[in-house]
Amino acid sequence: MTAWAFSFVFPVLLTTALLQAIAALCGRRVRGRMPAIATALLATAIMFIPVRDLPFGRWIISLNANFSIPLTAVLFSGVVRGFFSIRLLDDKALLTCWIFSLAAGLFLYPMALGLGRWDPYGAGWGFSWLFVLLLGVTLVLLAMNNRFAVVLMGVMAAYNLGLLESTNLWDYLVDPVLVVISLIGLGWRIGVRREA
Amino acid sequence: MNRRLLVIFFIATLGLYAWPAYDRFLARDRDPGTFVVGPIPATGAPDSPFFQREFISPDVPDRIVHVGSICELPYGGLAAAWYGGTREGARDVSIFLSTRSAEAAAWSRPKVIMDRVLASRDLSRYIKKVGNPVLFSNPQGRLYLIYVSITVGGWSGSSLNLTWSDDHGQTWGRSRRLTLSPFFNISELVRNRPVSLSNHGFAVPIYHECLGYFPEILWLHPGAAGLKIRFAKTRMDGGASFIQPALAALDPSNAIAFYRPCGDNRAIGRAVTRDAGLTWSEPQLLSLPNPDAALDALPLSDRRLLLAYNDSPVTRENLCLAVSTDRGREWSRVNTLENEPEAEFSYPYMIRTRDGRIHVVYTWDRKRIAHVVFNEAWVTAQSEAKSP
Repeated sequence: MTAWAFSFVFPVLLTTALLQAIAALCGRRVRGRMPAIATALLATAIMFIPVRDLPFGRWIISLNANFSIPLTAVLFSGVVRGFFSIRLLDDKALLTCWIFSLAAGLFLYPMALGLGRWDPYGAGWGFSWLFVLLLGVTLVLLAMNNRFAVVLMGVMAAYNLGLLESTNLWDYLVDPVLVVISLIGLGWRIGVRREA
Repeated sequence: MNRRLLVIFFIATLGLYAWPAYDRFLARDRDPGTFVVGPIPATGAPDSPFFQREFISPDVPDRIVHVGSICELPYGGLAAAWYGGTREGARDVSIFLSTRSAEAAAWSRPKVIMDRVLASRDLSRYIKKVGNPVLFSNPQGRLYLIYVSITVGGWSGSSLNLTWSDDHGQTWGRSRRLTLSPFFNISELVRNRPVSLSNHGFAVPIYHECLGYFPEILWLHPGAAGLKIRFAKTRMDGGASFIQPALAALDPSNAIAFYRPCGDNRAIGRAVTRDAGLTWSEPQLLSLPNPDAALDALPLSDRRLLLAYNDSPVTRENLCLAVSTDRGREWSRVNTLENEPEAEFSYPYMIRTRDGRIHVVYTWDRKRIAHVVFNEAWVTAQSEAKSP
């Protein structure tokens, strides 16, 4: 039930971000507390519209039931920035997120899809080297005052609470959509630097 | 961040990891388990050879059936499941169940226990079609069904789901999606018989079928009262090697796996484990052919192994039995269950029931699910008749 309820969070955030974008395209800026609440409520209502016996949000989940916590956090940060001009994840945290997610994806997916006999995905079921590694990275990032550490804390909290359908820590940490976004984010950063 | 907040975050982080660490090192229900090799019932006097053949599913025109599995119910009954529809992979494919009590002369009329509509309702998501079912039971009589569902694409878009019944298949619990792959949770399929574990769990042979083609084991642990299911997955081999592993457990630690080959190989693969399935040897190709089709293996009471397979590198026109006395390295063909040109006899699935009899269900020309029952005396007699 917890995972079912949480499964609507990403679709609602995505719809909210889309509504923000549509408003911006129409030349209207949706800012402040009340517009934010109204937009979020509208997005939530859209996600619960039944389409062929399924809430609309569950159609998105049909394609991917486990949107990772960092991807959800990045989207949440973007939505909050759009409403309140507050940057929950600053440039340093986002850059860390892109690098971390891309590295995790490049390490995980080729092997999980059959490259070699060893499958790192198995380390996500129950306490393993992956947990120790993640703990170390989180503590180092905390010491470096990097806000991505809080996202990694959220990963572990979500795992303990079973907020995703998956019971594997990897799925809380990274997903294919995040890897693609990280690739685009890093490429964009590199492009901007070269232009500068 | 100020110093105090940093300290709070440090402590909070350590606290977040304390629970999974406790669960790993101190929780009592983390026994990985060993294979349970069922005791072979003592029947007193030596059995005389016994062999019987029948059909479980009726012949329905313009409908195909495929991928049968069978398990024993309490008090000597049997239950079988398979899928059927207008064609393999069609949206109208349903999973059927038929049962037979020990006293009954015939199988019950098949009833639909899962289709895309029921799966979509259970899993609260869009399901395009359903596929391979594997039916098995625990000693308490609970029936488990693992089945394939597809949201997008073909078989490579498959995911696995689990449901169960406590009333011999009359009613079924709400299906649960098993997340087994990090890549959109696709390309996980099931075909062969699970092996019971000493910790009341199951080692379910599964396989991956997208980019890589390889065999895996799903470690399934229905927790207290069967309500809190835990599961994990380990790999038996990688790359694009073999699929559809058939497990034959010889004792609590040792088992042999037989694989359906992928690619240009047209021979059955064999691997062994000595640590109850945690690690597997490099697969070796046997001298027996395989036409890119499922097979099954079962240990006999005298440590021989029985194999049901298609004895051809290209067609599924025959279905044969072979016996091995050396843990599956060399095989002697003992019987041809089916042989008819242009027909298809495939996907054998074997169990041994508590009375010692061996049951094989298989696809009979995609029209019916056939059921063959025999005892070890029959196997021995066939083997002796074949030997020079």
